[in-house]
Amino acid sequence: MIELRSLTKRYRSRVAVDALTVTIEPGRVTGFLGPNGSGKTTTMRCVLGLTRPTAGTATVLGHPYRELARPMRRVGALIDPRARHPGRTARSHLLALAQSNALPRARVDEVIELVGLESVADDRVGGFSLGMGQRLGIAAALLGDPDVLLLDEPVNGLEPEGIRWVRGLLRVLADEGRTVLVSSHLMSEMEDTADHLVVLGRGRLLADLPMADLLGAHAAVRVRSPQAPLLASALQRAGGHVELEIDGALKVEGLDAAAIGDIAFATGARVHELARITASLEAAYLELTGDDVEYRAAPR
Amino acid sequence: MTRGVPFRSLVASEWTKLRSLRSTWWCTALYLLVVGAGGWFGAAITQSAPQPDLAVGSALTGFGFGQIVLVVFAVLAVTGEFRTGMVLASFTSVPRRGRLLLAKTVVVAVWCVLLSSSLALFCWFAAGRLTYVEGGIPLTDPGVVRQLGVQVAAATLTGVLALGLGALLRSSAGALGVSFGVLFLLHPLLAISETSAGERIGRFVPALRVGEDAFLAVQTTWQLGLLVLGSWAVATWVLGAVLLAHRDV
Repeated sequence: MIELRSLTKRYRSRVAVDALTVTIEPGRVTGFLGPNGSGKTTTMRCVLGLTRPTAGTATVLGHPYRELARPMRRVGALIDPRARHPGRTARSHLLALAQSNALPRARVDEVIELVGLESVADDRVGGFSLGMGQRLGIAAALLGDPDVLLLDEPVNGLEPEGIRWVRGLLRVLADEGRTVLVSSHLMSEMEDTADHLVVLGRGRLLADLPMADLLGAHAAVRVRSPQAPLLASALQRAGGHVELEIDGALKVEGLDAAAIGDIAFATGARVHELARITASLEAAYLELTGDDVEYRAAPR
Repeated sequence: MTRGVPFRSLVASEWTKLRSLRSTWWCTALYLLVVGAGGWFGAAITQSAPQPDLAVGSALTGFGFGQIVLVVFAVLAVTGEFRTGMVLASFTSVPRRGRLLLAKTVVVAVWCVLLSSSLALFCWFAAGRLTYVEGGIPLTDPGVVRQLGVQVAAATLTGVLALGLGALLRSSAGALGVSFGVLFLLHPLLAISETSAGERIGRFVPALRVGEDAFLAVQTTWQLGLLVLGSWAVATWVLGAVLLAHRDV
């Protein structure tokens, strides 16, 4: 469990994290979302004791991170792909970290195998690709078999197979009852991964809700019919909110696909397409963060 | 909550970090080469000496240059972590940063003692072979023991001072610049100034070879010399440790 209470970090005039209060619960994957510069990394650094908050507190399993006796046994973190010395081999890097927390040496080989780096374990990490570097970072996070995992953009630079692997791994870790916090600036990355979302914008909490709620709130159905005007009025009478798409299809909110099919049948309107719009998640995210993007390209 | 990590585990971790970098072995080889060759040369050009400690003193000349390498080694042990980003992993795994710095210091200091004492013995051997002293140069001679011991202590304290500057300044260029300035330039500059102020200040400037340096603004006893160098090393280290614990990464 990670608890943030009025966490605030100010850099001179800029507020990176603004009175953030949120609890990250165990047993589920929590997606930590926000545009670049919204304060995700600063928040994670505060949790790990790397950065001192200007005000407020961050605790892990009830304690400030700096008071944890063997932190790697409690918390595993992937905070920055640069957090290694390029001149060291993967094995030496992991061994030094394991020794620093009095973890058994055998654990190093276990995590190397777990992330699939056996063939390059004795190569200098300076020559690693971004994807291999991410795997090394995940290996380091898992060294202490921790109860809490904080992963900052873990799939950045991973190939599709690697992304699938990370998703599966996070699911297993959460199902084992661990606390899993995964940050990303891309909503689409979270769609198949997270159970719960915490959304930041300019350092402030924009949303803290189950994935299903966000999906439900912005669910829409796309329906196409040669008798679109007839169907549209029937749907509106049934309480749906109907919009006409550019290609002539109808975008319906407030009614589910089954209800729309039944109404079409009762009205006698032929249906050529009937689909749930999954992209609404991305749209919901954009709607939430739209006003809070820190760096935006100037409109031309 | 589980017990804390034993200090020896931190030392083991720091030793793994140090031995797994090529720069460690380059610095080690260069240090051995420069001081060893300097010792042999110093002994060879000193045909005879009136006392055993003076003969050994000539053979130890190489330390004056060789400690440049030791300074680079000790500075990089800290600043290398900041330069690469490794420090994020180090501070996350060991949030008690003062303890981490202490473990690193132990490893660096032990390495300095091992290398420097081996070299000191080699220099003693070279002096015995190449410099004539009536009655020989026994290792049991108090003057010889003092010369060798002070040199090993001075080299090690130089390393600790450089490491402390690394923790204080975090940048390789900055820490190396300040180290060289304090250790290699201040004394010659004060000597050149030939003022009484320079002499007074010189008393409190750390010297590489404690009383045996080629360019000293002022000659001091080895006891005072070690005290000055030791104080600089401890003060810098403590300041570095305090700042390390309080600053964000």
